[in-house]
Amino acid sequence: MKYIDTIKRAGRSLKNAKARTLLTSLAIGVGAFTITLSLAAGEGGKSYTDSIVNANTSRTELLVTQKQPETSQGPQEYNPTAVSGAAGAGSSAQIAFLSQANLDTIGKLDHVKSVTPNYSPSVRYITSEDDKKFVVDAIAAFSPSVTGTYAAGSVDGGLSNTEIIIPEEYSKALGFSNPSDAIGKTVSLRADKLSSPVTAPESELFNYTVKAVSSKSGLAFRTQTSIQLSADSSRELYTYINEGTRAYGNFLLAAVEIDDASKANDVKSALEGKGFEAQTAEDLLGTVNTFINVLLGIVIGFGALAVLTSVFGIINTQYISVLERTQQIGLMKALGMRRRDVGRLFKLEAAWIGFLGGAIGAGLAVIAGTIANPFISEALDLGEISLLSFNPLAVAGVVIGLMLVAVASGILPARKASKLDPIEALRTE
Amino acid sequence: MTYGKKQNAFVALDDINFTIPTGASVAILGKSGSGKSTLMHAMSGLDRPEQGQVIIDGQDILTLKEKQIDKFRASKIGFIFQSFFVQANETVSDNVSLPLEIADVSWSERKKKIHAALESVDLIEKIGNKAKNLSGGQKQRLAVARAIVNEPQIIFADEPTGNLDSVTGEKVEDMLFGYNRENGVTLIIVTHDPDLASKCDIQINIKDGRVESIRNTKAVPLQPIKKVQL
Repeated sequence: MKYIDTIKRAGRSLKNAKARTLLTSLAIGVGAFTITLSLAAGEGGKSYTDSIVNANTSRTELLVTQKQPETSQGPQEYNPTAVSGAAGAGSSAQIAFLSQANLDTIGKLDHVKSVTPNYSPSVRYITSEDDKKFVVDAIAAFSPSVTGTYAAGSVDGGLSNTEIIIPEEYSKALGFSNPSDAIGKTVSLRADKLSSPVTAPESELFNYTVKAVSSKSGLAFRTQTSIQLSADSSRELYTYINEGTRAYGNFLLAAVEIDDASKANDVKSALEGKGFEAQTAEDLLGTVNTFINVLLGIVIGFGALAVLTSVFGIINTQYISVLERTQQIGLMKALGMRRRDVGRLFKLEAAWIGFLGGAIGAGLAVIAGTIANPFISEALDLGEISLLSFNPLAVAGVVIGLMLVAVASGILPARKASKLDPIEALRTE
Repeated sequence: MTYGKKQNAFVALDDINFTIPTGASVAILGKSGSGKSTLMHAMSGLDRPEQGQVIIDGQDILTLKEKQIDKFRASKIGFIFQSFFVQANETVSDNVSLPLEIADVSWSERKKKIHAALESVDLIEKIGNKAKNLSGGQKQRLAVARAIVNEPQIIFADEPTGNLDSVTGEKVEDMLFGYNRENGVTLIIVTHDPDLASKCDIQINIKDGRVESIRNTKAVPLQPIKKVQL
């Protein structure tokens, strides 16, 4: 018997028992619905965390610190490379800093393109032409590989040493009626020279042109609150402030730019071999990803449970179908239909049920997800990102997978059908 | 013909020996429980007795493997049953198509054969109808169409008119005998109805699993190629 004929006959048999077929399919449909949505959430979650990575750091960037000395109870042994907490952290613990020599060592490692210490200069205030002064939380060095969102202006051409990016909140506070008003205007940072004597304090006003106003994003942790300068400008500020102090030339953190994102873990282990601690972009988001994966695992588990339940439904339905159609099976066998073909007919019927259930469940999941996406994005403040992203291949995979599950469930009833004795089956009385 | 194994073995048919010429119409006559249906099952390859021979075209079908017997039935045998066994939810066309699908007949061939078979049983105008909407006589004519559609060499009819009134029964009988005469197809009818049996060339009377008598009313002058020895 030709495959296509068997498929058609299987389809027709199911059509003749519409209600039963539909109900059995719905059971598998519940599983399909849950699994499809979970996979979509997994896909969406992945692109969400990817966006977080790109908004805050870059996959070609590692954050490096000196290996911190172990702290134990009681008095700490003195470590000449460490700087006592009095220098910055305000605790008695010693913090190990990166020296210029360390940075040079890092710069010589394979795949390392550049090493930029985190200057984070502390300025006294920021001001604009209307003379209002505001405290500055943090100054970050602009990194072109980090994707920022901007309320006004653009940084496509990079950031020159006389330009500055200010957050939207600062633009408002500094007296600009809307973000685009700020573009091209001058803002100033007041920096104190720390090494100057208390009796004759020195300070200077550094002027910059506003290149862009960064906007609030649900993804970014850094650009929201940081004023950004070019790496060179940050160094200039840092040097002015810290030169001549003991802290000068020691950095807590350095950003290492590498030439190939796939080598991030190699560089990380190389750095650790040299006695540094390094975090890749993945490390930073590892916990987020783990959390998402655990959640997804649970939801997929529920889907699998629904599928397992539907397996028994299919077995039951198909057994009843075999019993009901004893005569039909007997006739087909009497007419010379082979055992294998009879078995195949029933397995294909099960496959049809799996296909129907899978298509109904996955289809509903896609529809429901597409409708729900804008609401979810709004509720979670995700902006343009859809938390549920349906990959056609994954959806097809779910349907095909469920068809296979259905065929497997149909094996026992199909065997019963194929073993039926035609003489018994065709006995009328 | 022995059934079952060892101590459970029982003899359903015993010392049955006859030869059927090609193209003959044969009635296997007997009361219920006489073993006539069992004989038909053995002759058509549906059943596999422990001992005996059924030689068709020089081949003992009891020695064939299951796969070969299936193929033999699909290509050379047509069946008609007392209770029709048409698939009520399928269309007339799909019912007739089944033996062709089983025998792997090509699409184009199939359509032609279905039409021809339905023409000859006068059901062509019902081709798209569901079988459940047919009357009893129409259902049995549909079963006849299904039996002849793949141009078998032998048609087995088990009480073909048993569930029909005399008028419709006669119409089905006429079709069967007509097909038998015109196409030279061997027709083997299992029945307990002496009137129907009398219309056949050969009557084989079965009683308690043995041949009671064989009558060759027409003395058909045909070479004997079907032989049953049980």
